[in-house]
Amino acid sequence: METAESTATPAGRPTVHSGVQPLRAGEGISFLCRKLHSLVGIVPLGAFLLEHLLSNYEALKGPAAYGAQVQFLNSLPLVRLLEWVFIFLPLLYHGFYGAWIWLRGRSNIVYYPWAGNWLYAVQRYTGLVAILYIGQHVIRQRFMGVSLPEHPYAAFAKVQHELANPWMLAVYIVAMIAICWHFSYGIWLFAAKWGITPGAMARKRFGYICAALGLGLAILGLASIWAFVGPEYRDQGSGIRDQGPKPEVRQPGLVAEANGVLGSGLPELISHNRTSGEVFVA
Amino acid sequence: MATRTVQFEIRRQASPDAPAVWESFELAWRAGMNVTSALMEIAGNPVTSHGCQTTPVTYDSNCLEEICGSCAMRINGRARMACSALVDNLDQPIRVEPLSKFPLVRDLQVDRSVLFENLKAVKAWVPIDGTYDLGPGPRVFPQEQEVNYPLSNCISCTCCMEACPQFNEATGFVGAATIAQVKLFNSHPTGKVLKEERLRALAGDGGIQECGFAQNCVEVCPKRIPLTNTISSVSRDVLLQKIKDFLGS
Repeated sequence: METAESTATPAGRPTVHSGVQPLRAGEGISFLCRKLHSLVGIVPLGAFLLEHLLSNYEALKGPAAYGAQVQFLNSLPLVRLLEWVFIFLPLLYHGFYGAWIWLRGRSNIVYYPWAGNWLYAVQRYTGLVAILYIGQHVIRQRFMGVSLPEHPYAAFAKVQHELANPWMLAVYIVAMIAICWHFSYGIWLFAAKWGITPGAMARKRFGYICAALGLGLAILGLASIWAFVGPEYRDQGSGIRDQGPKPEVRQPGLVAEANGVLGSGLPELISHNRTSGEVFVA
Repeated sequence: MATRTVQFEIRRQASPDAPAVWESFELAWRAGMNVTSALMEIAGNPVTSHGCQTTPVTYDSNCLEEICGSCAMRINGRARMACSALVDNLDQPIRVEPLSKFPLVRDLQVDRSVLFENLKAVKAWVPIDGTYDLGPGPRVFPQEQEVNYPLSNCISCTCCMEACPQFNEATGFVGAATIAQVKLFNSHPTGKVLKEERLRALAGDGGIQECGFAQNCVEVCPKRIPLTNTISSVSRDVLLQKIKDFLGS
């Protein structure tokens, strides 16, 4: 008689493992780290995201209004300290600790394809998009090119130039949606995990609120992106146009400053516009 | 006339370090059969669908009515109780595997003692031992009973832990079942004397903070324990306890 051994299908290497270790009561600081990660995502990072999206919305009023907003933000007391303590350091912590959380999770939506489990996975992927995007965004927009703290009125042109690249535009659109998703679901998670919404009905209702918030923020953010790529300010943002009507300028120093500031970046800007078939400079 | 049959594929492993193999079985269909009854039939006639003689499949089971928590296994990939997994409701071939997150003993039998260790770590009991008769316990209002009774239904099957993406060897997460028992015993008028100790225990490494709120636990729980509600409210209790400890109450 044939033996079972010969017909059985191999199912992989033996899985000898010690199993999951029991709770380490009274040990470690992971509770503090995890709660801090969660809190930092709401305040200051969530609060900063709101501020940033609202400030971006000023771009719809044009380069001058946008520049004024950038100038206002850079005129806050101790602004460099605020920037590091409430933006950069929390971003680094939330980003890297978040990646650490992701690496230690074992997503299993293949076998458990339920809404909560999908959201668990999506929260990790949107977080990854956020880390990568914000990394390049901070480096390119804050620490490279025209220094906006010193030349706030160059802000519109700088962003406009960045978004003139269709690949970069796509990156901004994807990242905007991912980050708004990550933030709004993050609020929902915060409420659930800090015991603010302990009831199933409370979580369901708060879910609608968070979904509405996320959708609203994404629309707000995408509208701001449109201000930089749409036709309305196409030939005004850089302030380098010599012919035709000047952009409406309330601040007397705007054009001069923008022109002076953009001195170094100017040839690049012009050549780019030429390659895209639009010649702004006579 | 061809009789109706049921196809099974069972993942087998003779010992913790033996190679795992799949064996397929074909059984005559019977009304109301479930995975445990099928395993019993296989034990009665351990012959694979290829006609090969094999050994009876090792598995845990006891009550056969979803009340003892023994027969948890992965059926078509998903953690559930074999006794309440009706064959008529399952896609065939029915793939039966051991729980993946616990040390394997043999075939479908795993060592789930981590749950017992976790329950001990949070002191999931009511301390009534003493040298004299303590008399009757305090009264519990019906409204409180309504809240606590579902939590007391836990059968320690560990399905919530198996299905949890955070319960793994990297996190050492305690799992939903233990958190629900903390809630139960903290709500008990005598058991709550240990409330602070339980909450502090849950803030240790692998504690309640590791929950990622994927909510698989509440979906797979065969006893429909409101595990996510419990994790949410116990999280708040743990946080408040840690703040009190930090500031000095």
